[in-house]
Amino acid sequence: MIGYVPGDSLSHRLDPRTKLAVQAAFAAAAFAHTTPVGLAALTVLALGILAASATPLLPTLREYRAFAPFLVAAPLVEGATLGPPWFVPGDAVFPALASYRVVLLLLVSTAYVRTTTARDSRAAIQRLVPGRVGVVLGAGVGFVLRLLPLLRADLSSIRDATNARLGGERSTVERIRLVATTGLRRAFLRSDRFALALQARCFAWNPTLPPLSFSRRDPPAFALAAVLVASAVL
Amino acid sequence: MIEVRNLTHRYGETTAVDDVSLSVPDGQFCCLAGPNGSGKTTLVRHFNGLLSPDSGAVLINGTPVESDVVAARAGVGMVFQDPRDGFVAATVGADVAFGPENLGLDRAEIDRRVADALDAVRMAGRESDRIADLSGGERERVAIAGALAMDPDHLVLDEPFTGLDWPARRAVLDRLADLHESGVSVVVVTHDLRDVSALADRVVVLRDGRIALDAADPAPDELADLGVRPPSA
Amino acid sequence: MATTTEPVELVGDEATKNVARAAVFAAVTSATAPVSMTHPLAPNVPITLQTLWVFLAGVVLGPLWAGVSFTLYLLAGLVGLPVFAGGASGLGVVLGPTGGFLVSFPLAAAATGLVVHGVSDLRAPADVSVPRLVTAMVVGSAVIYAVGALGFSVNQGVGVVSAVATVVLPFLPVASLKVAATVAVVRSDALVAR
Repeated sequence: MIGYVPGDSLSHRLDPRTKLAVQAAFAAAAFAHTTPVGLAALTVLALGILAASATPLLPTLREYRAFAPFLVAAPLVEGATLGPPWFVPGDAVFPALASYRVVLLLLVSTAYVRTTTARDSRAAIQRLVPGRVGVVLGAGVGFVLRLLPLLRADLSSIRDATNARLGGERSTVERIRLVATTGLRRAFLRSDRFALALQARCFAWNPTLPPLSFSRRDPPAFALAAVLVASAVL
Repeated sequence: MIEVRNLTHRYGETTAVDDVSLSVPDGQFCCLAGPNGSGKTTLVRHFNGLLSPDSGAVLINGTPVESDVVAARAGVGMVFQDPRDGFVAATVGADVAFGPENLGLDRAEIDRRVADALDAVRMAGRESDRIADLSGGERERVAIAGALAMDPDHLVLDEPFTGLDWPARRAVLDRLADLHESGVSVVVVTHDLRDVSALADRVVVLRDGRIALDAADPAPDELADLGVRPPSA
Repeated sequence: MATTTEPVELVGDEATKNVARAAVFAAVTSATAPVSMTHPLAPNVPITLQTLWVFLAGVVLGPLWAGVSFTLYLLAGLVGLPVFAGGASGLGVVLGPTGGFLVSFPLAAAATGLVVHGVSDLRAPADVSVPRLVTAMVVGSAVIYAVGALGFSVNQGVGVVSAVATVVLPFLPVASLKVAATVAVVRSDALVAR
């Protein structure tokens, strides 16, 4: 599973807002230039981003192997026709390029995920989205991070209990129903208690935000993002 | 000072707290004991406005809770029964910082309070540890630190020893003794007075939502009759 | 408290409760993701229970907070929390073959909630009639498959027909199972007294 990996690469030291901008700009450029030349240029850039983020290429690709069937299927399905010649290679070219584009985007977003803590991302969200919406989204992402291990443990104990009780005998609907019914009860219990904990600690619309600051490394990265966006719209 | 005046709280037909009056002076270590369902948790949740009374009032340092909820919540630090439910962030430092951040303190002050609070529970330097990786005793102590970081005058702990082994219980007791020493008043909600009664200045026993006993040093058989596990059982 | 610079604006009790529920639903959705079955017709394609929680969120949280809940889910995944199916995360996943489904979740959760509750106060889930529940989930499913197919079409550069053939048709039998299961959950005692 891909997640934050501590380190001191260039990307680790960039502000999360800068990294979000570069990522978004890369995606815009990739969609605008889904051509052999465009994707070749972006491949060079993506490899550069990986190098600046201490992110290894092959292990990253392996992490996404579950996507491979879709990426292969898309050009095959698009190229297929219901009758001779059964397959039109010309129709499959663009979907194949698009599949390759997905691979590049996965690489670049992995670089973000591996070099950015959830706390930094949360701080970035709360600064980029103004007002109460920003508080709900920023704080909410932090809460999801906190609740994940708790609910994973809850659900795995529910699953074990269900398996122990039912064996493999019930229908799929019945299994889903049991897991979801128990899971829902647990979710209500957790959320009621979680709400109390938030209240007890003065959950507020105007908290002090987690610290974030740009450094002298950020402007060049922003310039890169600007060039990518310009290439996409011009 | 926590002052409870003629407080009544009902859940539908059931009266959980029935016309209770009680005051906990600054610096006191008070055990609020009673069997399950006696109204202990319901009572203390009025101290910081998590529940509103059907009648009566709670005053914190002379101010009614409902007229300044922020002051009540910062003034009365609350540690919930299962500390896993009291954490709001994934790492120790972020969790302890949550209260002071909501109070709008500046970053230097927040960092100082987080460091002090963790120091007070002997968890100094553990800011980046993941909450999910802590032991039961460490969780309880970090939960206490989360309350302490709001700089409360009073600390309320709901069944803090549930599920802890003896060394972990000892460590929590020692930290509570230190905090009491430093002038914080401590209210421990419990159905089991072993261990903790040695620290207590006072034991208040609730039964069916009423105060059944209020004494500095209650007799063990009296406690047992009220459904509370006495100190030397 | 002397160092407080501006008055603390507490998040109200009702909003706090809703934020907590929204976050719990987002977390429970990703915690359920590993409980995946393998589709009998298309091996290697994980069938997850994420959409079950999308429907349940609409039913119990109502349109606004169900939408918020799955916006949190999407956002958490975008910034790297392992919430998407199989513990995946990141912008690349959202702009990949299944990204349209992820984007559809907040919309579908809100749509389901809208059909169940309308725009006024929430009603008790147990009081909602079965036809209305089924309609809500059919609408929710339609949003999921429409946006999911659109996402596949855009992200993979294929026509709508190919997209529907690849990511909608193989999944329809399972979709009806999920609707049946959700109705069963909503009508069970899990939601009584809420």
